[in-house]
Amino acid sequence: MLTEEDEDYFTEPGFHLPGTPISNQMLPSLPPLPMQPQHNHHSEAGSPSSEVQQQEWIAERLEGDSRSVKELPLNLSEKRRIRERQELRMRKMSGWNSWMDRQHRAVQRLWEQTTEAFQYTEMWRGSLHRIEGHFGSGVQSYFSFLRFLVLMNFVTFLLVGGFIVIPNMVFEELQLKINTTSPVTTGNQTCFDYNPKRQGLVQFYEYVMDLLSGTGYMELTYLFYGFYENTAVDLKTFSYNIPLAYLITILFYFLLSLVWTVIRSVNRFKQSLVNEDSSLNNYSNKVFVGWDFCISEEQSVRLKQNSLRYELKMDLEEEALKKRQAAQTKLQCTRVYTLRTIVHLLVLALLGAAFYTIYVATGYSQQLISQDSVVSSNFFLGLLVQYLPSIVITAAITILPIFFNIFSRLEKYSLTWEIKLTLIRCVFLRFASLVILLYSLWTQITCNGQKDESHCKTCGYNNIYPCWETRLGQEMYKLAIFDFLTVLVMILLVDFPRRMIVQHCSCKLIQLWGQQEFQVPSNVLDLIYGQTVCWIGTFFCPLLPLLNTIKYFIIFYLKKMTLLKNCCPAKRTFRASSSNFFFLLVLLFGLALSWVPILYSIFVITPSKACGPFQGQFFIWDTIPNAVEPLPQVTKEFLYFISSQAFLVPIFLLLCILISYLVALANSYGQLVKELKVYMQLEGRDKHFLVKQINRTE
Amino acid sequence: MGNKQTIFTDEQLDAYQDCTFFTRKEILRLHSRYYELAPNLVPMDYTADPDVKLPIQLIINMPELMENPFKERIVETFSEDGEGNLSFNDFVDMFSVLSEMAPRELKAIYAFKIYDFNTDNFICKSDLEKTLNKVTREELTEEEVTLVCEKVIEEADMDGDGKLAFADFENMISKAPDFLSTFHIRI
Repeated sequence: MLTEEDEDYFTEPGFHLPGTPISNQMLPSLPPLPMQPQHNHHSEAGSPSSEVQQQEWIAERLEGDSRSVKELPLNLSEKRRIRERQELRMRKMSGWNSWMDRQHRAVQRLWEQTTEAFQYTEMWRGSLHRIEGHFGSGVQSYFSFLRFLVLMNFVTFLLVGGFIVIPNMVFEELQLKINTTSPVTTGNQTCFDYNPKRQGLVQFYEYVMDLLSGTGYMELTYLFYGFYENTAVDLKTFSYNIPLAYLITILFYFLLSLVWTVIRSVNRFKQSLVNEDSSLNNYSNKVFVGWDFCISEEQSVRLKQNSLRYELKMDLEEEALKKRQAAQTKLQCTRVYTLRTIVHLLVLALLGAAFYTIYVATGYSQQLISQDSVVSSNFFLGLLVQYLPSIVITAAITILPIFFNIFSRLEKYSLTWEIKLTLIRCVFLRFASLVILLYSLWTQITCNGQKDESHCKTCGYNNIYPCWETRLGQEMYKLAIFDFLTVLVMILLVDFPRRMIVQHCSCKLIQLWGQQEFQVPSNVLDLIYGQTVCWIGTFFCPLLPLLNTIKYFIIFYLKKMTLLKNCCPAKRTFRASSSNFFFLLVLLFGLALSWVPILYSIFVITPSKACGPFQGQFFIWDTIPNAVEPLPQVTKEFLYFISSQAFLVPIFLLLCILISYLVALANSYGQLVKELKVYMQLEGRDKHFLVKQINRTE
Repeated sequence: MGNKQTIFTDEQLDAYQDCTFFTRKEILRLHSRYYELAPNLVPMDYTADPDVKLPIQLIINMPELMENPFKERIVETFSEDGEGNLSFNDFVDMFSVLSEMAPRELKAIYAFKIYDFNTDNFICKSDLEKTLNKVTREELTEEEVTLVCEKVIEEADMDGDGKLAFADFENMISKAPDFLSTFHIRI
């Protein structure tokens, strides 16, 4: 047994667990621990005491090491021996220390058990596991994103439902609603004329049409803004101001969505920041980190090998292409540049044409709906008119990216740039389509912003819309439903037939077309688009988060089914880590975009006089000052101060200073990293030199 | 944890829980998987810490490892004798390091050992070529293999000796955020 003196012998400063080649050659008595298996083999016949020495030395080291036993790169039996030594040592400790240690252990055990229990409540864990095993972590990131959206929509629905829908239902049942909150206003009687229920004999198909487009009897349900009333409940012990609750709940809904998305993107940001420049480590990444150890199906393994080979081939080709391009003559350069400019102009022209079509279609559809003659005559014609904007947007979103793909091949950018550019164009297309739709609706509702126009003079908004918020909610409702129907139709009428044709028809052309690849970027953009529509529409259609939850829930199962049955893994592996952050950034951009119509409606447009919780007010925002009025003087002063410029401007300046400080800090860390890399290279060279010297002297 | 099991003593389970990234349930499940590989060799009662080793042939036929091109290297790395015969301790150790809770540094150490085919503590050109051929099923041409290996050494080798030491490998891994999710086997 070793004595205390021997333990002093082994106090080596700078102990570094993964052995370096130098310690390999210079200090044979302290072998690097990663070599453990081999060393056991050699030292079997040798001194068993050196092994015991080793154990003691390791155990001593651990006293000061913050790492737990689990994280040591040793054999399990050795870890157990070290742990036993630790236990022995602990029993020798004083009563207080050992008690503390035992409590610490008990807490750790409890923590482990609770996390284990929570793991079982994680939704869809088995499905994600299966998908990862077949298709890798890239595709799994899509489904993980989908799960995040389902959860977020559900929780935010609980918020909205709990504070808007449920109180309304309860008050309705108990017949409690009494006071109206807004001042009585005078105005033209036509503005107060709102009767969406169909009169006279209603055909059955008209009910179905109402269900699908949110008109008629659907307008008088909790689904739409128009049904909520501007009343408050004021009992002795309990008061509830419905308009105030409506406004503040929606604001909190956005805040909750923002916080949740930001937290998720911060985690992903940390990962993608480490991967500063993927071009630096492209090949080593693909060779060492490219193989997904989770894949366990023979077919998937073969496909993965093919995709890695394809990627490496592509990278080598790209290198060769770059070399060729660098050696290009001036004439060739100018040719390439003119080609690229032409392609950019073509893309812009296509986008412009698409936007114009969307604008015209929306305006046309709105006018036809208001006239009501065409809509009620024929079921299919009526549905077509109602869904015209959605159809045009979906057509643009589906057709234009095909052209983008074709054009990008003409541009002769490097492959990575090509992919990024196409992605940016698709993102722009989707968001701009929504913006154009909203702009078109805005021109309709506010008569192009001119309050003096004939239609808008009487009520402050276009008087063909007795309840314009509900109309806006209906458009978003229709977009959401059509988005879901598109997914369903694509899966049933495109994915399944394609697979059956490819499997059973051995014609060369068909085989070249091949099976459907699961394209992660376009699917993720679809989800982001759907979520943006939900965010825009929630103010006008409070049950939209619930519909979105159900829609994404069903889409999860549909996509999983089509993935496992109809798709093969994409040729180019989708790198989840670097794109995760990008997609969350796009989602945040969608959130910011959705604020614009909401804030505009709250602050600028006159609320409908005939319906809704804000009828009779000049602006929707007036609810807040009206609610602040009866508060005690001190609170009122405080709230006024917070919202005044004297407070907001200094806060804004402070935030700017903080941001510039953080940016400077980040830059200096980047510099430090570069310098350390150079230092490491120099160290390596010094080491080599020293080893050569030593070998020479030996 | 409520169920009376007689495979391990409580102290053994505590030891396993402290030394690996698994919970008690998972360790018992691992034991049943280990037992299924060779029911006539593996005893049900491990309270006496029996010294039973399963040969490499049985381990690499597990569904999780069967299609992995590195299966032999993985099992050899975690075996005590370097030949691929795993005791239950080695078996648990292997899946613990490959589980999702193991930290990056630990995984990097073992990944280095797995990719080091000739076990000389360096990933030299021949090791690289073998790795590359395994992940692409030997379908790259000789010229392409050479080019890719040159590029990898160019990117990752920092002390300029033409082969990758552990420090070079670890530095390269630290810049690859996908590593934690790809170097992972679920069991």
